[in-house]
Formats: sequence, C-alpha cells, structure tokens
Amino acid sequence: MAMTPRLRKFALTAHISSSVGWLGAVAGFLALAVAGLTSQEDQMARAAYLAMELTASFVIVPLSLASLLTGLVQSLGTKWGLFRHYWVLAKLLITFLATLLLLLHMQPISTLAGAAAEMSLSGADLRPLRVQLVVNAGAALLALLAATTLSVYKPRGLTPYGWRKQQEQRAGVASHLGF
Amino acid sequence: MSQTHLRPNRESPPGTPRWVKVFGIAVIILLLLFGILHLTGNHLGGHMPPVGAGGGQTTPTEQGMQPPWP
Repeated sequence: MAMTPRLRKFALTAHISSSVGWLGAVAGFLALAVAGLTSQEDQMARAAYLAMELTASFVIVPLSLASLLTGLVQSLGTKWGLFRHYWVLAKLLITFLATLLLLLHMQPISTLAGAAAEMSLSGADLRPLRVQLVVNAGAALLALLAATTLSVYKPRGLTPYGWRKQQEQRAGVASHLGF
Repeated sequence: MSQTHLRPNRESPPGTPRWVKVFGIAVIILLLLFGILHLTGNHLGGHMPPVGAGGGQTTPTEQGMQPPWP
C-alpha cells in the first residue's frame, strides 16, 4: 500500500509533529514532577500536580496515540514496512510500551492531582508516588529520545521477513528484465 | 554501530545486528525492573488510599497549612 508523495509528506509531518511534541510534553511533565517533589512551597507543589494532570490528559495522551497511529500509517504506507527493518520494529515497541504504561499510570496522576486539589498533598503516603512519577517521567524521556535517535540514524538490519521480501523483489525485477 | 553479520547472501538471511541484541537486552532488563518494582509494592498501580480517607494522611490544618483563600 504505497502513498502518493503528497500524502506521504503529510503523514510524515503529522508523525514528526506528534512524536517530537510528545517528547517535549514529557520533558515539561518531568520538570513539573521534579518541582512537585522538591519544592518547599506547598502551593507550588500543588500547582505542579494539578498542571501535570492537565498536561497528561490533554497533551501527552493525545500526542502519544497520534504518534503511534501516524507511525503505523507511515510504516505501512512506505517502503520501510512495519516488520522489515529492526529499527522500525524497535520504534514500534518503544512507542507501544510507552503509550501502554502512560495509560496505566493515568490513575495515580489523577490521585495526586486530587490530593493537591484537596490540600492533603503533604501526607506521607503520597511521597513514594511522587518519587515514582519523577522516575517514570525520566524513563519515558529516555525512551522517547531513543526512538528519536533511531528515526534519525536508521541503523541497518533487515529482519528475516524483510530479507525474504527483498529477495522476492530482486527475483521479480530480474525475471522482468529477462535474466 | 556494529555492521557484523549484516551482509546477506542469496541462501540465508542476515544475522541479527549487535545493536538489536543490546536493545533487546535493555528492554528486557527495564521490563523486569518495572515488574519487580510493582511486585515489591513500589508501584503506581492505583492501590493508594483514597484521598481524605485517612491512612496516615494529615489534613492541611494539622500540617499548619493555611487555605489559599481569605
């Protein structure tokens, strides 16, 4: 399923925008998580957790889903394919896992935001949760940086499926040319 | 980036590049760490006590906090 050049560029623009936007939003989320954990001012910490819930719900989750969707379109609609190159597979794995873990962790983010709204943020029970959000946001940032690096460098490596497809194409071209 | 085992011939598919092996090992280690953290209770899995239900939390008044409104 090949896309027209115009459609391919549109899909690529959408994929880059959503992926890089996701990376930037997670960086902002990490800054808020660190501020929420380390700030000495209670109001600052509470504001950070309220902002984190909004950022996660209305920026990070939509961008992650858009990145996953546009990535699937981009790979299936071009010569790269989804299962032919290891770097494409690696990116798919990173994006899928990051999106899944993000969705699983939306409830704790809401829990912290609820605590911040009700002014019970300083409860000792919430500290592990606050630390965990910093760790998770840092891990997500590293994972998305890895995905960005893979997109730029495109390290070599055909999967066995990709190799078979390549052989079939070569055989097809050779028979077409009469060899 | 290693380029070993990348040159295929007509008979057999190429071997797995070294970067793929390193990446796979890193993913497995991270997933194991994540699973261990969850199993040992250091997780985010929604088992927090509900806000305002006690469980060791102190109220803002107990903490000496003042509400942001007059």
